[in-house]
Amino acid sequence: MNKFKKFFYSQKAAPYVFVLPFILSFLLFWIYPLCSTITMSFQDITPTGTEWIGAKNFAKLLKDTVFHTAIKNSFQYMILTLVLLIPFPMFFAVLMDSRLVKAKGFWKACLYVPALTSVVISGTLFRLMFSEYPTGQMNVITAALGLGTFKWLKMKATGLGALLLVACWRWTGVNMLYFISGLKAIDTAMYEAADIDGATAWQKFRYVTIPLLKPTTVYVLTISVYAGLAMFMESYMLWAGPDSPNNIGLTIVGYLYKRGITKNQLGYGSAVGIVLLVIALAINIVQLILNGTLKKEEN
Amino acid sequence: MKKKVLATLLTAAMLATTLAGCGGGAAPENEGGGVEAPSAEEGEAPAAEGGEATAADEGGEASADDAAAEEEIPTATFGDPNGTHMEMWTFVELHGQHYGNMVEKWNEENPDRTIEITCTTYPYADMHTKLLTSLNAGTGAPDICDVEIGQFPNVVAGLDTWLVPQNDTAAPYLDTMVQARMDVYKGSDGNYYGIPYHVGATVMYYNVAAMAEAMGISNDDVIAKIDAVTTWDDYAALGQEYLDAVATDGKYWTSVDTAGCDWQWIAMAEYGEDWTGGMDGTANVQLDSVKKMCTMEQEWVNSGLAEVSPDGHVDLEAGFQNILDHNIVSFPKAMWYMSRFTNYMPEEKGNWYIAKCPVFEAGQKCSVGIGGTGTVVTQQAVDKDLASEFLCWAKMSEEGEQLIWDNLGFDVCNTVLWNDDAFAHDDNNQYNQFFINYPYDVLYSIKDDIGTVYTTAISPTINEQMCNVTLNDILENGVSVDEALQAAQDVVDLEQ
Amino acid sequence: MAETTSVKGKETMGMKTKRNILSVFATVLFAVLSFLIVYPLFAGLIASFRPGTELIRRGLSINLDFSTMTLANYTYLFGNNVDGHKYFMWYKNSLVLMLVTVFLTLLICYIVAYGLTMYNYKLKNFLFFLVIATMMVPFEILILPLYKEMINLKLVDTIWGVMLPGLCGASTIFFFRQYMTGLPKDLLDAGRIDGATEYGICFKIMMPITKPAFAAMAILCAMGSWNNVLWPMLVYRSAEKFTLPIGLNTLLTPYGNNYDVLIAGSMFGILPVFIIFLCFQRYFIEGMTAGAVKG
Repeated sequence: MNKFKKFFYSQKAAPYVFVLPFILSFLLFWIYPLCSTITMSFQDITPTGTEWIGAKNFAKLLKDTVFHTAIKNSFQYMILTLVLLIPFPMFFAVLMDSRLVKAKGFWKACLYVPALTSVVISGTLFRLMFSEYPTGQMNVITAALGLGTFKWLKMKATGLGALLLVACWRWTGVNMLYFISGLKAIDTAMYEAADIDGATAWQKFRYVTIPLLKPTTVYVLTISVYAGLAMFMESYMLWAGPDSPNNIGLTIVGYLYKRGITKNQLGYGSAVGIVLLVIALAINIVQLILNGTLKKEEN
Repeated sequence: MKKKVLATLLTAAMLATTLAGCGGGAAPENEGGGVEAPSAEEGEAPAAEGGEATAADEGGEASADDAAAEEEIPTATFGDPNGTHMEMWTFVELHGQHYGNMVEKWNEENPDRTIEITCTTYPYADMHTKLLTSLNAGTGAPDICDVEIGQFPNVVAGLDTWLVPQNDTAAPYLDTMVQARMDVYKGSDGNYYGIPYHVGATVMYYNVAAMAEAMGISNDDVIAKIDAVTTWDDYAALGQEYLDAVATDGKYWTSVDTAGCDWQWIAMAEYGEDWTGGMDGTANVQLDSVKKMCTMEQEWVNSGLAEVSPDGHVDLEAGFQNILDHNIVSFPKAMWYMSRFTNYMPEEKGNWYIAKCPVFEAGQKCSVGIGGTGTVVTQQAVDKDLASEFLCWAKMSEEGEQLIWDNLGFDVCNTVLWNDDAFAHDDNNQYNQFFINYPYDVLYSIKDDIGTVYTTAISPTINEQMCNVTLNDILENGVSVDEALQAAQDVVDLEQ
Repeated sequence: MAETTSVKGKETMGMKTKRNILSVFATVLFAVLSFLIVYPLFAGLIASFRPGTELIRRGLSINLDFSTMTLANYTYLFGNNVDGHKYFMWYKNSLVLMLVTVFLTLLICYIVAYGLTMYNYKLKNFLFFLVIATMMVPFEILILPLYKEMINLKLVDTIWGVMLPGLCGASTIFFFRQYMTGLPKDLLDAGRIDGATEYGICFKIMMPITKPAFAAMAILCAMGSWNNVLWPMLVYRSAEKFTLPIGLNTLLTPYGNNYDVLIAGSMFGILPVFIIFLCFQRYFIEGMTAGAVKG
């Protein structure tokens, strides 16, 4: 017993004791579910029993047009959020970081507020605003502009637009803050040197700001890619459930939820999850290669 | 730094304790009965208002009473504390109250086998997921549970490992029940697992007052015109007559649904078809009846006779508002929609007339049972026989049916009552008061014309595809009917 | 703040005017942006003072029509009735969940990060790699098996079921590790010389100097917990355990939406996070952005 106590308090054992919770959580809530998702994806799980069905779930996914729609939607959404949620927040951050803007703190707070709200709340607000009834806010605006009213959440373009608007509404401020802190980390000497060389504002932005902001950009890019691919609750709230007209709001995770939870088809739902996993890993590898991070890790 | 961190935690902790005080539920700050409540029943799970609340004309006041009446979390225990205890889950609070009323009567009649029942109301989706989870886990399920028909296939998939067959206990009532409604809650093994509340027969609702005003004729003349409608062509012609008279933009004869298949169901019933193929058939959505109906709807939308229902169908706020604004003056819907009128559109009292649905060809059936909730007894029940016997009695006996009609406003499945004068023509009944004619007269007149479309394992797939994609394509995006149905069939085939 | 004109003396009049115009332009840009962003919340706030039925009749609009505005939704929410009780039950649940989650997450992530930073041992880098690996798989992929696991472990419908899978948040561990890498390790040896145990050093010496990291992570973690929907929605089954977002979500049903409570409840639900945000804005930003700069 004493020996054990001594060992427990030794410098050798301590770090393992410290990381023990992580190891437990890793095994229980990561490795195990990950493995079981893989096994389940090869099974047909019904209330009356579980059956191994080989790759049938995946074969079915290949033919499942609804799933293809889901993948397409998720990718479209992800790419468009990247287009909207990286350049604009970066531009706003540069402005904010300059001395041009008055009352910075106030605007920063305003832009940040949406991130504090739950998706349930923001989704509901936006659903009401995009209501197809003439009293919906968007219809009031378009009607006032003489454009008539629209069934916003029934058409692909406007439906996706609404989703993107929710995304921009919630994340513009957050991403802007990321970039601001990235800018703060840039050594002012760099700009002074550029000034001496007679660089224009654009040149400084292009050749100093952008390259030195790269770590931040990569970070924002990574979280945006993940958030974009895994988006579900936004669409769930905007259409008040996992269903949307012509599946315009269906995403990969939405389909996983619908099959696995609503329809209780754990096997097929897991197969959807595996596809998402493969996509996520592929993106990771591409990103690691592009960043040359692989090399750094070796050192 | 320390202080600030501490302050955060303190603020949070203080918030927590204050709120815990507020939310404790016990806090008996009695402000008398008159809590200011803005139309509470707007959100209350729905179906119908208590029968005692005489037709809620003054929405606000009636609801204030409602709010005061329900002081606790939506779980209620009824009956004899010494009797057999049963748990019951539902997603409509009024359903639970029905069992509460029935258990009191049961205990009077069966003093030797008394029951105590606790009814818990969960939100729709949660209740069904929770039920599936607990049936799967083999523990935690209630004795008796309401299952919505759309979810029924998921639950009945467990057959008698999950549910108790109710063939024997239902037998005494079967000869007066609408057989088709018993059949929809059958398992693939042929056993009856669910007991229905209602037929859900589809009928046509017409806004006689609005039509009379627009057309400049008396209500009686309008009713005569409506009664003369037999086929869909007649119906469309009458609609055109109304639209010519009203001649206003934004006014339509009816609205067709993109998020509901009611119209298609009616068509199938008329031709005696069923896209699920029945209990062990193959699903086929490319039926003539479905094509005909979709084509007709598409033509109507193009010609301006019909609009697409805002938000997809009429049983939503936007739909109620559309009806209140008289943007549409007629639509087909199941009889249970009556309670939506009394709950959400009380100002329409006295304006509406119920008639049978038109048909494609004279002599066809003209109605179909839509929607419904089958109540099941689970294998986890404490006393399966007693639970099953009580359930059948509560839902199928005449006493039970009387309460279902008065409180829930459903078209009951016991056909004997349909032309029972005391039952069907009771002028104290709020639905009899609300509509121009007696709803049960219409029901009785179509007694032999109510068809069935089954809800089977493939139904959720068909329903989802139709409501999400196909009907939108046809009615909103102008895709041809054949093309849209072919696409739907491909999706359905993938699942069978 | 290194900007276009770092040497002020050289500024000409023309440049000044140009700067002023730019400044007005930039400020107006942010004003417009802020207006657009705050607008939906403001419209929601106004709608919360209108009867729920008005929402469909009138939509979400910011027309201040005082004749139809009342406090009724709020008096109802705070009143002695079933909806009010439900609402504050959810509120309480959310607060309890938030406090417990924040406390346990921070504690656990801190000691794990401590173990990953303060010692040199064989598996250290491998373990850290595992932490990074967990960040690379979106949580959503694991919801089905985790959900099944929770059923098997009988953790469904319990606060543990909601909390446990997220307690070892990789990003939180990552943040603590980044922060601690910058701390002097001499303190450990000093502690050892003074006779403190390894655990004593961790909690008594190092923890206090990690406080700023705690503050930043606490706020972030609190916000995450308060607004979390997907997982609690799956795990919680009993209406009396629902958290605020799930509860609010249940007000939208196929059988009619309870907009009165929904909108007023939503607006009141933003309050706690909003207050914390206003008081501790700095830590918020610190916590959110730390990963971005150093990662």
